[in-house]
Amino acid sequence: MSNILLQIIIYTVIWGSIYLLISLGFSLICGVLRIFHLGYGVVFVLAAYVTWFFMEDVHLGFWPSILLMFLVQCAFALFIFYKGVFQRYLEEEEVLLTVSILIFLAVAHLANYLYPVTAGVSIPSTIIDNVLSIGGVTIAYQMIFAALAGILVTAIYVLWFMKTRIGLIIRAISQNLPAALLMGTNVNRMYYLAMILSVIPPTICMIMIAPFWGVDPFMGASLLMTAMLISILGGLGNLKGSIVASYLIGFIHASVSFIFVSRFMGLAALIVTLVVMIYRRGGIFAGETLW
Amino acid sequence: MVNFELRRDRIVARFRDKKTEWVIEPRYWRNPTIGISILLVLPIIFYSYPHLLTMFTTANLYAAIAIPLALQMLGTGRVNFGPQLYLGIGGYTAALLNLHFGWSPAMTLAATITVCTVISLMLSPTTLIAKGLYFSLITLILPLTFLDVTYIWGDLFRGEVGLVGMSPLLSFAKVTWNYIAYYYLSLFLMLTYLLFCDRTVRSRIGISMAAVNENENVARMMGVRVDAYKIFFYVAPSILTGIVGWFIVHTFRTFAGVTYLPLDFMTKILIIVIVGGRAFLYGAIPGAYLISILEDSLRGLGPVNYFVFPLILIGLIVFLPRGEGLWGLYKKKRPRDYFPKLHVRRE
Repeated sequence: MSNILLQIIIYTVIWGSIYLLISLGFSLICGVLRIFHLGYGVVFVLAAYVTWFFMEDVHLGFWPSILLMFLVQCAFALFIFYKGVFQRYLEEEEVLLTVSILIFLAVAHLANYLYPVTAGVSIPSTIIDNVLSIGGVTIAYQMIFAALAGILVTAIYVLWFMKTRIGLIIRAISQNLPAALLMGTNVNRMYYLAMILSVIPPTICMIMIAPFWGVDPFMGASLLMTAMLISILGGLGNLKGSIVASYLIGFIHASVSFIFVSRFMGLAALIVTLVVMIYRRGGIFAGETLW
Repeated sequence: MVNFELRRDRIVARFRDKKTEWVIEPRYWRNPTIGISILLVLPIIFYSYPHLLTMFTTANLYAAIAIPLALQMLGTGRVNFGPQLYLGIGGYTAALLNLHFGWSPAMTLAATITVCTVISLMLSPTTLIAKGLYFSLITLILPLTFLDVTYIWGDLFRGEVGLVGMSPLLSFAKVTWNYIAYYYLSLFLMLTYLLFCDRTVRSRIGISMAAVNENENVARMMGVRVDAYKIFFYVAPSILTGIVGWFIVHTFRTFAGVTYLPLDFMTKILIIVIVGGRAFLYGAIPGAYLISILEDSLRGLGPVNYFVFPLILIGLIVFLPRGEGLWGLYKKKRPRDYFPKLHVRRE
């Protein structure tokens, strides 16, 4: 019994921290641009497959491939999503969401066409290829590093939003757009920045989790679902809510996996989210602001 | 005693307190008549092309899903990103009862309607609880979760391969007759939905619906029971979508959640609603035929079609008149009277 409890505690922290990385970018866009980025799954697909493309087809090293992949991510976020979709269809919500999903599907299918599952895409980002044992609970070192990356990136983001001037401007835009405009804020520039900031955590996440999570062209859909559940549960666009919701979902997944059967964990998380929605319509932190 | 009254554009018949109208002004009935005539004649022209008949049947079924979705979007002022949930529920209800208990299609229809009613009533509070965008996200997650469930209980739902071998609705000695019969049945289903939705939109309920769609608070102030309308416009289209699932089960005799529940299928339906004209009921028909023909034509490209198809759909959204799709092309030439317009609220 105590072993199960320990397993639940450890995996709540590990999965919760990884979920933080998955959902941080989605929450950020919700908080700053006040839209749902249903094309968010693209970031995960690009992170894995563009890196693989540069490594395998262009024969570049790991780090140059990561750097180029990040540039592609930024270009995609700014020119395809922000300029091409968000700016154009901001007033037609259903069109914006549909086009975003279509872009995600097109990218996922292109990845599947170029590198089907049989191509064996894998990112060599393993730091230590071993497992750690704590009180009979074994955890892969790579998972621990991914969790640490999640905590570190979130801490940097929160500190940056709280302590810097640009962070203050972004929070102001998130709280009251017309007032921020009145104060002379260059909103467009901040939106560009928010788009770039939103691709960093999921990109790091994908690189860190690829060795143990596996890579497939349609993984973006399930990761997007996780990000959405966390955002809904935490309160759309609220980073405080996202942090709490990530660990809550991590706890639900860990509990259901270790006490019952792992296949029910997605269903259990959805039910808890719907129940929370009934009692707190806007999620746990329904502030409608970034922090 | 029946009294007839001839007006400029219609004949009105009155019997006691009942009133029936017959529109005689050609501009009101000419285009629908031409459209329906073309749809009726299609199987005669393409008699010897079964794959085309199947494609048209699929188009009718796409339209039969898109029309209630458009009604739901107008009635609730929210975008349902998971209309395929009820298609799955209806389909699996009919298929499982038919396969495991040997229920006839008539009995599975009754069961489908009952199950869809109960589940949609249970989920209908989401239209009241969830604000605009939250509703879209929750409805997006629900069918994907149901898809998970079909994998979790794979023994029952056969998640990967689906259920096969359900009883057919009709069975003729000649295979071609089956194709034609199913085309006409799907056409009948789609036109019945169109008629139901059209009558609803043009009725007193439709006026209240438009008021809710424009501004919930004002509608409430005017005495419209907003919550009741939102629940009605969530439940009724859900049942209609469930019936399409039942129809698919007894027409194609196979049903797999993996075909109908993922994002790909949902985007197809949403695209029909958008390309046809933002939640414009009639636009769903040309929209469905366009998507169906496009999908079928691209199959010849092989595996690359899965990548090209979403790109062409994006192109359609970008290049058709902004927000009004095919309906926008038509309306440019023939401006018509007021029709409820979709307003998706953020609050």
